[in-house]
Amino acid sequence: MLILLTALVAVSVVSLLIGAGEVGPQRVLGLLLSASDSEAQFIVWELRTPRTLIGIVVGIALGVAGALLQAISRNPLAEPGLLGVSAGAAFAVALALVLGASAATLRISVAQLGALVGCICVLSVARFRGVGNDPVRLVLAGAAFSGLLGSLTSLMLLYDQRAADEIRFWVVGSLAGRRLDDLVAVLPSLLVAAIAVVIMARPLAALALGERAASGLGHHPTLIRWVAVGCVALLVGAATAIAGPIAFVGLVVPFVARAFAGPDIRRTLWFCLPIGPLVVLTADIISRVVVAPSELPLGVLTALCGAPVLIAVVRAKRLPML
Amino acid sequence: MDYSSLRKGLMGIVVSGLLLGGSLVSGTLASVAHARTLDTAYGDVEVSDAPQRVVTLYEGALDAALAAGVTPVGAVTTRGGDNVAEYVEAHFSGERPEIVGVVREINIEAVLAQQPDLILAAAQLPEPQYRLLSRIAPTVVPHAQPLAPDSWEAEARLYGQALNREAEIEDAISAVDHRISELAAAIDDANAGGTAVLARWMPNGPMVMSKALIATGLLAKVGLEVQDAGLVDEGHPHSDILSLENLSQVDGDWLFLATLNADGQAALDAAKQSAAFTRLDVVKQDQVVPVNGQLWSSANGPLAAQAILDDIENALLP
Repeated sequence: MLILLTALVAVSVVSLLIGAGEVGPQRVLGLLLSASDSEAQFIVWELRTPRTLIGIVVGIALGVAGALLQAISRNPLAEPGLLGVSAGAAFAVALALVLGASAATLRISVAQLGALVGCICVLSVARFRGVGNDPVRLVLAGAAFSGLLGSLTSLMLLYDQRAADEIRFWVVGSLAGRRLDDLVAVLPSLLVAAIAVVIMARPLAALALGERAASGLGHHPTLIRWVAVGCVALLVGAATAIAGPIAFVGLVVPFVARAFAGPDIRRTLWFCLPIGPLVVLTADIISRVVVAPSELPLGVLTALCGAPVLIAVVRAKRLPML
Repeated sequence: MDYSSLRKGLMGIVVSGLLLGGSLVSGTLASVAHARTLDTAYGDVEVSDAPQRVVTLYEGALDAALAAGVTPVGAVTTRGGDNVAEYVEAHFSGERPEIVGVVREINIEAVLAQQPDLILAAAQLPEPQYRLLSRIAPTVVPHAQPLAPDSWEAEARLYGQALNREAEIEDAISAVDHRISELAAAIDDANAGGTAVLARWMPNGPMVMSKALIATGLLAKVGLEVQDAGLVDEGHPHSDILSLENLSQVDGDWLFLATLNADGQAALDAAKQSAAFTRLDVVKQDQVVPVNGQLWSSANGPLAAQAILDDIENALLP
């Protein structure tokens, strides 16, 4: 854990030092000695600091959401992006744009509501109870539903070209140009989700023993699941609202966390806290430098790196039953 | 994609039935009227002397037809809109063309319903579509032009030939040239020139538009020093989205900010939410000009050139 936290601090510092522009590590470090370099000052404080902070929050939100989803669906492949959550958020945003909102004034709550509805739809399609025996079914239902929402989104964009222009950001997530205001706007919902996750950690761990055992310990499996789904929607909706859909982070982070923490969901959740930001920030730093002076959208990079991980996970070993 | 090809297939079946009648009619007309031969991208095309019912399937063709004094009976929507571009509206005298699709998705049935005797299409018209359309009426497809500020002139001349109104098109082109030299002199007198960038604002940052567009070409011709910071690859209409960290590369004396929204102000408002944007010198000096992307990044032709020159004049010589 100490190593992970050290790594996170290191990556955050690198995130402040490196960018697509001309202000490199030397000029940033020069700021420590004298604050005369206004260009470097602006880029570090106004551009790189917000996106680093947002990257940390997005990483935590996606990592924790992934761990929750995998726990309640008992499916190591469950991922917010695969479960219609991101597709639901993007769909809701597209709908709002077509109905006349502009990307600048869009309410964060629209994306969160879309995420919640998307998630509920997939879970009900996959039959909420008893999916534990068939991890593939949930992924299939999620893929099918995401595809359906994706085509509906495309349909609306064909109908309304203006929205098509503004939606591009919502189809591929990115941390560039996001403002701290956006982050502040989602903090309340993140706080609610955080409190709920803390309360639910013990019942979730009980649920891992099986429904009967959990009931026997005085918990309500269905209630636990619904609260967890609510948390996932809040977390992913918030992340999607500020950064757009970012694929595979919710899959990879809990997977790595389990490698450190073992099967106990309570320990896994703790480990997601540093690992999520580590993954997101590393990907974001790479996305800044590979095509400078432009930037690659973060969502493209995580999809490029995440897809092989998913395939490797499925192929390499028998999936652990959660 | 599957859906659209399925739809095209179905439409082909429906249309080919209707075509039997259509080709009979146009065949008769062509043999009666005196025919001329045009050199188009798909070979020589015979056109009757006085086309009455013209359908344009490309914004540049609509522009040229109106400049030549012909109001088409059918036209496609502008890119990013659900009607023809706004600048075109002023040139309709009462009658308006029916909308027969969008540039990339032409509704062949709607074209057929207009019973055209001439179809003016874009250089990018795919051959299968050309085959289908040329069975409805003679279809004129210009040779593909390189991306260059005055590519529109050759296209407009071909459309003018097809309409048998070459003189009118030449007049329209020389009117543009005349206007350019007038405006260039006025800007020089007012000492209002300097460097200029045309950009489109996206949520993550700006896309710098190529120096080879008609709009940037006109900016250069009236005496501005148009810059793309070396960001636009040759043959591409615009750059990738520039990192906010490199925003100073679009700084200069003038920044023309385009959006596909009808309201250019919306792009400016969106851009102004970014601290990286508001600290640019060009913003501090209030020399950012919101412009309509329908006109500045997708339109083409002599009327578009005049409308763009209007915008330039209003911005630089208030």
